[in-house]
Amino acid sequence: MSVITTTRLSKWYGQVSGLNDVTVAVPPGITGLLGPNGAGKSTFMKLVTGQLKPSTGAVQVLGEAIWGNPGVYRRIGVCPEQDAFYERMTGLEWVTALVALHGFSGGAADEAARRALDAVGLLDAAGTRIAAYSKGMRQRVKLAQAIAHDPELLILDEPLSGLDPLMRRRTVRLIRDWARAGRSVLVSSHVLHEVESMTSNILLINHGRIVAEGDVHHIRDLIDEHPHTVSVWCAEPRRVARALLAEDTVLSLRFGAGSVVVETSAPDAFYARLTDMAASSEAGRIDEVTSPDDTLQAVFAYLVKP
Amino acid sequence: MTDATIEPAPAPRPSLPVWSGVGRVFELALGQMLWSRRTLFMLLVVLGPVLLALVARAAQAGGIVPLRINGSRVAGLDAFGLLIWVVFLRFAVPVLGIFYGTGLIADEVEDRTLTYLFTRPIRRGAVLVGKYLAYLVCTGAVVLPSVVLVYFLLVPLGEVAGSVVWFAADLALLALGLAVYGAVFALAGALFRRPLLAGLVWVFGWEPLATALPGYARQLTVAYHLQSLVPHAMPDSGVMTLLTSVFADTPSAPVSAAWLVVLLGLALVLAVRAVETREYVLDQ
Repeated sequence: MSVITTTRLSKWYGQVSGLNDVTVAVPPGITGLLGPNGAGKSTFMKLVTGQLKPSTGAVQVLGEAIWGNPGVYRRIGVCPEQDAFYERMTGLEWVTALVALHGFSGGAADEAARRALDAVGLLDAAGTRIAAYSKGMRQRVKLAQAIAHDPELLILDEPLSGLDPLMRRRTVRLIRDWARAGRSVLVSSHVLHEVESMTSNILLINHGRIVAEGDVHHIRDLIDEHPHTVSVWCAEPRRVARALLAEDTVLSLRFGAGSVVVETSAPDAFYARLTDMAASSEAGRIDEVTSPDDTLQAVFAYLVKP
Repeated sequence: MTDATIEPAPAPRPSLPVWSGVGRVFELALGQMLWSRRTLFMLLVVLGPVLLALVARAAQAGGIVPLRINGSRVAGLDAFGLLIWVVFLRFAVPVLGIFYGTGLIADEVEDRTLTYLFTRPIRRGAVLVGKYLAYLVCTGAVVLPSVVLVYFLLVPLGEVAGSVVWFAADLALLALGLAVYGAVFALAGALFRRPLLAGLVWVFGWEPLATALPGYARQLTVAYHLQSLVPHAMPDSGVMTLLTSVFADTPSAPVSAAWLVVLLGLALVLAVRAVETREYVLDQ
């Protein structure tokens, strides 16, 4: 049984096509939705979370239509892409208030919120206003509100964006544990490596169409032909650069504003090394790791060429 | 494909009962509204009449007649009625209706927080109604106490007993005004992406124009019907006579009350329908 099915799903914004004739069945477990920026990922995610109404076609989530059917939200948790909050509330107040909208009573809502904040490593900062949270903390509190009511299906739009390497690893583990407990996750990203760390089952989307689906290893073979670019945002770029230059996996390196931009031929080994560096603080504080999607673009160009 | 499996999906679960959803959104929205910058703005709006009343009271205590019209001293109760009509009903209430009512949905769209409310097992209409009720409580909690203050500052204690029914009618009228303007502007907020301008044009453009025009256009304003419910007679002055003459052809109180209730209900129903069916595309 599929957790999400779309049938000839299209979405138009006026004359602009956001999604074009997509028919897909998302199986139970973790599925990664992979595509470059502007590929249609967000449109797809908004359609399957009932935020947008299909122009044509149909969406079913857990066997039910999603548009205009609020009952289904008891069973799904949504972590949207946008960095938007009720800034004056504390993390605990915010998650408690949102889980209360699922029908939890005061005490149960508070308990569920604390459990979720603990799961994302934010319990210590639960009483702090969201306005004072770092980017990574904001990302985590967003994840907490999605899991607090213990849904069967999690829909996560770029959940690792803005996280430091350690928190990224912790979040990946949380998502994998979630699936291991028999629940399902649809997670979007424009970074293959991120998706690959969670699942081998992917949907590749580009120009509003699903261009490939299935096992990640096939895509991986393609992507290995292209160097992978990673931006490391850190407190001491020169120190990080010095440490990375000693690595065989680093092909080239240049400095950005507050960052080091690295080209690597072996993303797996590189990310593992980076996580170790962050854990040991040997090159100072590492704030964020981002990967532009030009590598992925090259793969898509390859996939869609006639 | 992964090997993970899930249990067969259970039978569809319903959304929360509508009033339960309304109550939960109300709780969330009330806290947000009470501590918002808008509330500070609202306090400033209602502080004006309180300060005026304080000055009048101080002047009276010093033996100075605070307000004369055509050389005659204006009694405290008349001055209070004047403030109710000119400051509260014609300015504070519509302005608060605009700033809060239009923001009920539009603010969530602009702040991109609507997703968190619309991905819950609550009908979208319940989200609007819950927020609307929070608006009523929030504005009522600030406006009505300030009116009470103004009343006791302006009206001599000896006249309180004789005017308490009028005073209660004033409070009810203000509450009705907040409810109707709030509903009308909630509808605007549900329909338009940037409804604030539409609200300002309605209150400061359309309403004065329509009420000054002969014919039926004035029926389509809130101000016209609120005026006919004002229990006070306006003091006789050039300015006030001009102002009140605009509303000289007022309908009876029951007709106006019925119009306002219908307008309130219609605006709310249309707003709920708009929110239930409309698609809100948030900026990235």
